Amino acid sequence: MLPRLRARAVSPAREAVIGPGEDPAVVLAAEGAPQHSHRRRVEPEPVAGHDSQWWNRDGIAMAVLAPAKHTVRMGNVITDGEIVVSGLTKHYKQVKAVDGLSFTIKPGRVTGFLGPNGAGKTTTLRMILNLVSPNAGTATIGGSRYADLAEPLRAVGAVLEASSAHKGRTGRNHLRVICAAAGLPASRADEAMELVGLTPAAKRKFKGYSLGMRQRLGIAAAMLGDPRVLILDEPANGLDPEGIRWMRDLLQKLAGEGRTILVSSHLLSEMELLADDVVIIAAGRLVAQGPVAEVMGNAGNVGTVRVRTPHPDTLLGALDGVGSSRGDDGALVLTGVTAEQVGDAALRAGVAIHELVTERPDLERVFLDLTAGKEAIR
Amino acid sequence: MRLVRSEFLKIRTTNVWWLFALGAVGLLVVAFAANALNMHFVLQPPTEAGQTMDPEQAAVLKALADPVALTSYMVTSGQYFGLMFVMLLGIITVTNEFHHQTATTTFLATPHRTSVIVAKAVAGGIFGIVLWLVTTALTVPATAIFLESEGITPVLGDSEVIRAVLLNGLAYALWALIGIGIGVLIRSQIGATITAMVVYTVGTAAVSIIVNLLVTALDWDWLANVQWAMPSLASNLMTSGANLPGQPAYWVGALVLVGWAVVTGLVGTLLTRSRDIS
Ligand SMILES: Nc1ncnc2c1ncn2[C@@H]1O[C@H](COP(=O)(O)OP(=O)(O)OP(=O)(O)O)[C@@H](O)[C@H]1O
Ligand SMILES: [Mg+2]
Repeated sequence: MLPRLRARAVSPAREAVIGPGEDPAVVLAAEGAPQHSHRRRVEPEPVAGHDSQWWNRDGIAMAVLAPAKHTVRMGNVITDGEIVVSGLTKHYKQVKAVDGLSFTIKPGRVTGFLGPNGAGKTTTLRMILNLVSPNAGTATIGGSRYADLAEPLRAVGAVLEASSAHKGRTGRNHLRVICAAAGLPASRADEAMELVGLTPAAKRKFKGYSLGMRQRLGIAAAMLGDPRVLILDEPANGLDPEGIRWMRDLLQKLAGEGRTILVSSHLLSEMELLADDVVIIAAGRLVAQGPVAEVMGNAGNVGTVRVRTPHPDTLLGALDGVGSSRGDDGALVLTGVTAEQVGDAALRAGVAIHELVTERPDLERVFLDLTAGKEAIR
Repeated sequence: MRLVRSEFLKIRTTNVWWLFALGAVGLLVVAFAANALNMHFVLQPPTEAGQTMDPEQAAVLKALADPVALTSYMVTSGQYFGLMFVMLLGIITVTNEFHHQTATTTFLATPHRTSVIVAKAVAGGIFGIVLWLVTTALTVPATAIFLESEGITPVLGDSEVIRAVLLNGLAYALWALIGIGIGVLIRSQIGATITAMVVYTVGTAAVSIIVNLLVTALDWDWLANVQWAMPSLASNLMTSGANLPGQPAYWVGALVLVGWAVVTGLVGTLLTRSRDIS
């Protein structure tokens, strides 16, 4: 049995270790937060009864997960939650599924883990979680290997593909089994069911769950220990549009609380909405990593301006030093200018404009460009 | 400790355990009736049969008719199927994890896989012992009634009888461990259960027959002892209570059984530790 400590009672100790100044959320703000974060990095709302912002980060979890009365033992709570993968390699008989892969996942941000089918994403995530043993390299979470975490479920939550529940067991009992193994009170099972909206199906057997319900149960299982690090392998699988949006909001909220979120997905438009950073791999090797905007910028795809006019040549004459090409529909596609410059030039030249849009490259384009030429399924 | 609780919860939250318990108790009734019938003829041998009996067989019968042997024999009724169900439950606690793909969840909660196997062994062992308690609670009064009706005073308090009953409990626990070992070795649920049941039923008989044939053909008496290496025969030997002529002592059976449980458990644990879960 664990010593019965209140979650809040242990936090001062944590504060002593890192101190509020090193609160990842605060650090982010101090660094002038990357471009993407303005979309949402909302400061957590104060929770009644707590006196400092620091508590609120933990307090948020309670707001999300209903009052978390469970105990948290100090010493297993990951304080920074950085995931460091270094030189990770896994050979299967015919393929090098993962080949000398290194990257770092920062806390307080949602990181998208992208790659074509068979790129080695699932294998990498399973190696991070000690389910698959690497042939070489290491993976640490908050500085320790997964197997060395004293209370893994309170530190790391994971939703993996091909994780499932006993067909004849109810969803609630499935979570209770995990609670028992992790030393969490059984009441957490109900709270997590509530969080993912499965309460109405809590007492039904798993075999009767739909794909989306199964996925939600997996997310509930990952949230049981109120973990600081979340690792999700294609969590949007089977979720309805409402569910996908719910998950996006949840993950962004959790990241806003300073947690580390690593999520693999094929839904690139979804990723563009969700992720702050991306790690792109292909054929088991790293292709690109960094903040989304940076990766898209580095891909040499800085955006274009599309303009439709009856007098393209006149307009081009008014704009000098601009790269141009013809779109399929006869529109001009200009690079190296802004829409404002094009509009002003058109006014000066007295040409009518029927359409003027800035086209930013989307993640999908960048992804396809970056992974083109790499052998996909091996 | 909390792992054992979790494993128990796993057993308790599915239907398998009570189906197995029901099956074991149901077959216990059948087995007890069959044993009673059998012993009835041992105690009152039809006269013609008694005359044609060869001396060795007669000696065995005489040993069996001894109240102590008789009481232990009856009290441990239902062992054959009881042990089989305990073994099957042990197998299922492991193979379920792969069959239902819950191994990922389990090993995420407990990255130390050895602890998971140990917890399964403890939970399975406790299930075995509970089943043993239930069967013994049924066989003790039934034995008393049966022996009284045959005009024999049951010697339930005899130390050898108590030893047989306790060793029977040990057998129930050990068979759960053997089941877990088999489950880890053969991860496929169907594969493991079928293999185990075939070996347990047909295999045991086959080994007995083959060994006996070889003994008669080659005249190597020591070969007869090979059959006691079969776990099912070994557990039979262990709980026989009395030392029947021509059989090794009961503790040989106990050793063989412990050996099997330890070997399957160890090999299974080592395999589980290094295996990729995907
Ligand atoms: N258990 C295994 N045995 C043999 N090969 C495997 C095994 N697991 C994965 N592989 C191989 O390793 C490579 C990487 O697989 P992985 O599942 O990690 O890809 P992925 O990036 O998750 O793909 P997807 O997007 O389709 O989920 C593939 O070529 C796959 O065939
Ligand atoms: Mg995958």
